Amino acid sequence: MTYSLLQGLRVVELGESVSAPYCAKLLADMGAEVIKMERPGVGDQAREYGPFPGDEPHHERSGLFLYLNANKQGVTLDLETPTGREILGDLLAQSQVFVHNLHPKEMDRLSVDYEHLSKHNEQLVMASITPFGLTGPYRNYKAYDINLAAAGGICEGLGSPDREPLTFGTPQVGYFAAMAAASSIVIALLAGSGQHIDIAEVEAMAGIYNGPEALMAVYQWRMTRRTGHHALDFPYPNCILRCKDGYIFVGSPEGRQWKKFLEIMGDPEWAKEPRFRNRTTMNNEYADEVDGYVEEWLLKHTKAELLDLALEHRVPLAPVRNFDEVRNDESLADQFVAVDRSDTGPISFAGPPYKLPGQAVSPPRPAPFLGQHNADIYCERLGYTKEELVKLYQTGII
Amino acid sequence: MNDRVSAQENEQDQNTPEGPLSGYRVLDFGWVLAGALPGMILADMGAEVLKVETHQRMDYMRLGRPIVGDEPDPEQHPLFHNVNRGKLSITLNTTKPEAVELAKKLVAHCDVVIENFSPGVMDRIGLGYEVLSAIKPGIVMASISSNGQSGPLRDLRAYAPSIGALAGLDSTLGYDGERPLGLKHAYADISGALHSVFAVVSALRQCKQTGQGQYIDLSMLRATVATMGAGLMEYEMTGRVMGTKGNHDPVMAPYGNYPCQGEDAWVSIAVRTDEEWRGLTEGMDNPPWCDEEKFASRYSRLENRRELDDKLAEWTRQRPPEDITELLQSHGVAAIPVMGAEDRLFNPHFRARGLYSDIEHPSLGAEPIYNIMWNLERTPPSIRRHAPLMGEHNGQIFGGLLGVAEREIAQLEEEQVLW
Repeated sequence: MTYSLLQGLRVVELGESVSAPYCAKLLADMGAEVIKMERPGVGDQAREYGPFPGDEPHHERSGLFLYLNANKQGVTLDLETPTGREILGDLLAQSQVFVHNLHPKEMDRLSVDYEHLSKHNEQLVMASITPFGLTGPYRNYKAYDINLAAAGGICEGLGSPDREPLTFGTPQVGYFAAMAAASSIVIALLAGSGQHIDIAEVEAMAGIYNGPEALMAVYQWRMTRRTGHHALDFPYPNCILRCKDGYIFVGSPEGRQWKKFLEIMGDPEWAKEPRFRNRTTMNNEYADEVDGYVEEWLLKHTKAELLDLALEHRVPLAPVRNFDEVRNDESLADQFVAVDRSDTGPISFAGPPYKLPGQAVSPPRPAPFLGQHNADIYCERLGYTKEELVKLYQTGII
Repeated sequence: MNDRVSAQENEQDQNTPEGPLSGYRVLDFGWVLAGALPGMILADMGAEVLKVETHQRMDYMRLGRPIVGDEPDPEQHPLFHNVNRGKLSITLNTTKPEAVELAKKLVAHCDVVIENFSPGVMDRIGLGYEVLSAIKPGIVMASISSNGQSGPLRDLRAYAPSIGALAGLDSTLGYDGERPLGLKHAYADISGALHSVFAVVSALRQCKQTGQGQYIDLSMLRATVATMGAGLMEYEMTGRVMGTKGNHDPVMAPYGNYPCQGEDAWVSIAVRTDEEWRGLTEGMDNPPWCDEEKFASRYSRLENRRELDDKLAEWTRQRPPEDITELLQSHGVAAIPVMGAEDRLFNPHFRARGLYSDIEHPSLGAEPIYNIMWNLERTPPSIRRHAPLMGEHNGQIFGGLLGVAEREIAQLEEEQVLW
């Protein structure tokens, strides 16, 4: 699904893995024209990540890659060579936006920085997504998703008190950095000024996600700790519990919701004990015991039954859904988009999370094969002849 | 009192560079977290953001136990101070028709309207998109909700953890094969807010070019689903359903949080390439176990990752996380301590980057408030003022912007219209 809010915007992406590719995907899904640049012969490392259809690995069939790079055109370019960097400059001269996630050390080595690139286009908006940002003592530090989650404050609060802190089940930090970069790019365009944008992935978590924690800590409020499936200082219940066919989130921040929930459970005797009168005390001191009482009832009901009860009685119950249940939720069917490729058949993945009434919607185009649009971009856009294209290929530039 | 506060503000404004969205005005009905964040970001970017509040139903984030004294005080909530900084506050009790009319008059002066009430509420009080776009055709209106403005889950009572559960996020959070755990923070609220900011600014660009307005229906569930990338694709490609798997990564080993010297001290280490593996072994001063065949390739390290984790933990356990970080990073290995809020507040890197600014709040004095860290180098965002006191700007907005006479404002306050 592609909207047209950003129609006419030309974007060049030099991206690996999640962050810069998801940023360019957001722009592409809004109608921007995105050219994705990859290393000749190798390509984006998401191509090796998988998962692969039928568990048959192939660098054109990685699920993560196909999802993150739909709606883009693909070219290959070797930036290790002066000719490659010249071609990048020519392409940027005809674009408004450049987004990349080269490591700062690589930026230095290849002179991929705003000072050099803006010589080709002084109105260029360039976003650099790097692990720790382009300034500060950790500038040159290396990081993968778990490191960014660790420094950004995710791990500290996830897990049991006496065991190791956990991270996300699938890499997530890159998505948050991507959203920061994509909005910043459009904001810079609105301001009408070519400029460089420095986005640190770790700050996508340490800032907008976990930022308020510092002031909470100053006031000794609800510090994030590893407290298993319970959270401290909330009114009970605010946790994931077992039910007949899996797990269910049970919450009741409002008193009337808890009352209603007890009513649905048949007003059990245990709930009348005076020590359970204060629900925050119940949570902080008796949570394990109360889990047992509540689960005894929950285990008689399936996720689907509990969701129906939640809708009927307006109590906050929500099934912990596995990915098959998410994918097969009919109410989400129109978020999923399918592309057809000769080699894989139709593949579906999640499209944009917004509905924009009145917008022209065009069907998605599949992610590019490695270097698929070299001729379109280098010959038709930049004016190279077919002979020159062959020479660029033979010499490993593209 | 009001005069003095606004004089201070003007002074502050002069010292703060204009943001990239200076000149834009936002009518912000957003509340709690998901609804408050977009306005906060737009305010940091220089837009004038009018937070519309009412005593009739106070923003939950103004409620809670006070920091100072024993009485409830809507001006003391640390989360509120963070996510509403930079905004101006006006009170409008939309159960009164006069208040709805005033809101409409304000819309004529605004570029963006944000709201996250239950679906249907804005229509019911007479401030739906149809009405607003008739007043101002170019208006961009974002409605943020848990499960969208239509569909079978529309009216489900849902909070951030509900959405983490429904989106599949929680199904992957937990120790290997054990029960799923929830996140401590409102992942879905933040993902929803960030996706809506992107949609809003994209719509503003369209409006700038064509004059066309836009309605945005943002579902936090869909926003969370949109970033479930590899997990959803696993099912699509193989039919397998991912469950909890601890800190295991499909292509990297070692990959985890390892115990260190010190109380509850941990360091995260991740190794992808052979070059990084050599860096790690050198950093550890080449212990003999590193030469064993079972750790010789990326493949065998993944195969034997549990044993590898144990060996590595024996080494990390004898050192503080900061030392390990410095040593391993100098060998080109991704390592960083597991940090808490205070660690970040006092960390030299985050201090150098300016993660926090001290913002003076009238109720509680100087407080560390986080910056959004979207570093547009020529037109940087900044925190323009402390979170507003409730109704602090009624005079400035209804008087200054709409030209309502001072005594009329007093009367409207008396009649609980501005309330």
